Amino acid sequence: MKQGFRQCMAWLHTWAGLIPGWILFAVFLTGTAAYYRGETTAWMRPELRTALPAPDAATLAVQELQRIAPDGPWFIGLPTDSDPLIRVFWRSREQRRFRDGVIDPVSGRLAEAGETRGGEFFYRFHFELHMPPIWGRWVVGACAMAMLVAILSGVITHRRIFADFFTFRPGKAAGRSWLDAHNALAVLALPYHLMITYTGLVTLMFMYMPWGIQVAYQGNSQAYFADTLGIPPPVRPAGQAAPLTDIAPLVAEALRRWPEAGVRRISVQSPGDANARISLGRGDGPELPIKRQELVFSGTTGELRAATGNEAPAVQTAGAMYRLHFARFESHLLRFLFFLSGLAGTAMVGTGLVLWAAKRVPKRAGQGAARRGFGLRLVETLNLGTVFGLPVAMLGFFWADRLLPRVMEARSDWEIRIFFGLWLLAYLHAALRPGRRGWAEQAGFAALLGLGLPLLTALTTRYHLGVTLPAGDWLMAGMDLGFLGFGLAFALAARKLWRESRRAAAAAPLGRLRAEGA
Amino acid sequence: MAVLALGLAYPGFLLLSLAMDRHHRELLGGAPPRPRRLALRLTGAALLGLSTLPCFALWGWSIGPVAWCGVLTVAALGLVALLAFAPRAAVLLAPLLPVLGLSAWIGLE
Amino acid sequence: MVNALQRAWQGFRAWRWPGVLSRTLAAVVGGYAVGALVSVACALLLPMPRAEAVLTGMMLSFAAYAGAVLWAFAARSAWRAWAGILLPALLLAAASWAGRVT
Repeated sequence: MKQGFRQCMAWLHTWAGLIPGWILFAVFLTGTAAYYRGETTAWMRPELRTALPAPDAATLAVQELQRIAPDGPWFIGLPTDSDPLIRVFWRSREQRRFRDGVIDPVSGRLAEAGETRGGEFFYRFHFELHMPPIWGRWVVGACAMAMLVAILSGVITHRRIFADFFTFRPGKAAGRSWLDAHNALAVLALPYHLMITYTGLVTLMFMYMPWGIQVAYQGNSQAYFADTLGIPPPVRPAGQAAPLTDIAPLVAEALRRWPEAGVRRISVQSPGDANARISLGRGDGPELPIKRQELVFSGTTGELRAATGNEAPAVQTAGAMYRLHFARFESHLLRFLFFLSGLAGTAMVGTGLVLWAAKRVPKRAGQGAARRGFGLRLVETLNLGTVFGLPVAMLGFFWADRLLPRVMEARSDWEIRIFFGLWLLAYLHAALRPGRRGWAEQAGFAALLGLGLPLLTALTTRYHLGVTLPAGDWLMAGMDLGFLGFGLAFALAARKLWRESRRAAAAAPLGRLRAEGA
Repeated sequence: MAVLALGLAYPGFLLLSLAMDRHHRELLGGAPPRPRRLALRLTGAALLGLSTLPCFALWGWSIGPVAWCGVLTVAALGLVALLAFAPRAAVLLAPLLPVLGLSAWIGLE
Repeated sequence: MVNALQRAWQGFRAWRWPGVLSRTLAAVVGGYAVGALVSVACALLLPMPRAEAVLTGMMLSFAAYAGAVLWAFAARSAWRAWAGILLPALLLAAASWAGRVT
């Protein structure tokens, strides 16, 4: 490596981008989908949506939790505009592990039908890759770090960043137009890419960089969190039974204090005990930082015991980074802008991967597969199986939810199995059908899945576009229209790829038909 | 008002792109003379600056800048796509968007 | 297959792999050490309440890590790459140690 600085950075950009590239693509795409994780789950279980006022929803949840897990602890997620379900998490003493569910707002019982991971699946996959959490998070962290390096070295490498600012020449030679697209997607959304990568690392910094706490707090992270968030020490159960106070007035009190932000989460420790505690967590307000504020009430008398929170600059900065990463904005438009930027990021990674392969395809016609190294063929297979295979698998996840029986043993596991099954098939298909033909076929399949979803919704639920559009039910209509949009985009891509593969086939000598492509 | 933000950012970027030889040649023919290039740059930058106002008005001082970045990103990506696939529409949209944005805003008031 | 392996091996040789391997190690491991030491130094030395200093250090550490990685691949030789990472790491460690005593 005796070349100039720029060449070194170009080399670094290539490899720091390629090696984690496929994981990064999956992290970007599922993360982008996770902006709508509340909507995703609600789309899958539309009958459970509710607009109950917060105090009533909390009461409903507490009543049901008292029945199914009287000892607690409980966590309750109150319905919001973008996540209109009453979510409950609890730990039962027998099973010793956390379980979660959704309260049916009509019956007040835990909903049994249509069990699904919903949007949570994409959300968790986005930073755990469906691996054991610790492993997944480290892998994603390493990839995010490589991403940060790839972004920085890419900016240094890109010689004509302002001269080429608006340049995209789709008609030019394959390598050139992929490079244009990669550059445009990277440069125009650069603030987003840098922000999302850095804040992503920050959301898991306690795991990646625990050394400050190790040294300054001798590893006592509880003391650290008590300092930063002002959390009072936990109270041990007294062992004396006492009825839990009514939760509705507590929620009403919190709403009076936080008129704009509202209540987001409720946690109840040792319900039914004399030392029960009820904590209400603040929602997101009009200011950028997420404020981790809580009101802690006595669970028996309903008396306010503590109001936690910390407005220090460092805490605010971290809160702002969290808010930016999660895009927890009330404004639908703003979240949509983030969604579009996320798609741009996904496309940036995708075009980068394709570009790497396009640059290395043998130039002279008719040389074909014999001249393609193993590395190039591997990259091409992984590219197709990831760039089009993952969308196929994700759309298949939605299909699975609509098609599986509503009541079924381990229903949510089957959805996930179908997701991974489809993805695996996409890789197999990519290995067997190299070149543009393979790309055209997967795009066509994705188009069918996307365009078919609104139809499937109409066949299996009462919430189809003919009903939701006139009723102004924008959650259901928006999801269905989104699927239509993606289906249409894939259909256009499929048409273009199909024509190109036909043209390439016509140009190539007969015996080398299958070899040509990409 | 969000459309207005886009309606200011989009023509802003279009003017900035017209100040460059390549895009000026494609859309209007020939390289821009120096004074016009300067005027295009200044107006373009001014429009981008103005597009902050609806963002602040709509989302406040804290979240407004974030929204502005998002609006700029989407405006620029949209412009690049249009320039590549439908250059005439790219030019036509420039006066249309702000008018649409203004009327939507006044209609809401 | 044999051909492919042979070509891969030749490519690997042409790659000046000991240098690249050494730099990669410096970037990944050394860079992490620099990031971790920045977070520790901030936690101990920054003139603000302890919790905030810890938090600030954690948030800054990734920037330091990224900078170290860029340096590891930009330096003129692998030796300089290592030197440019070990020196600040030692300085940070020494400063943190001094800050710990007071």
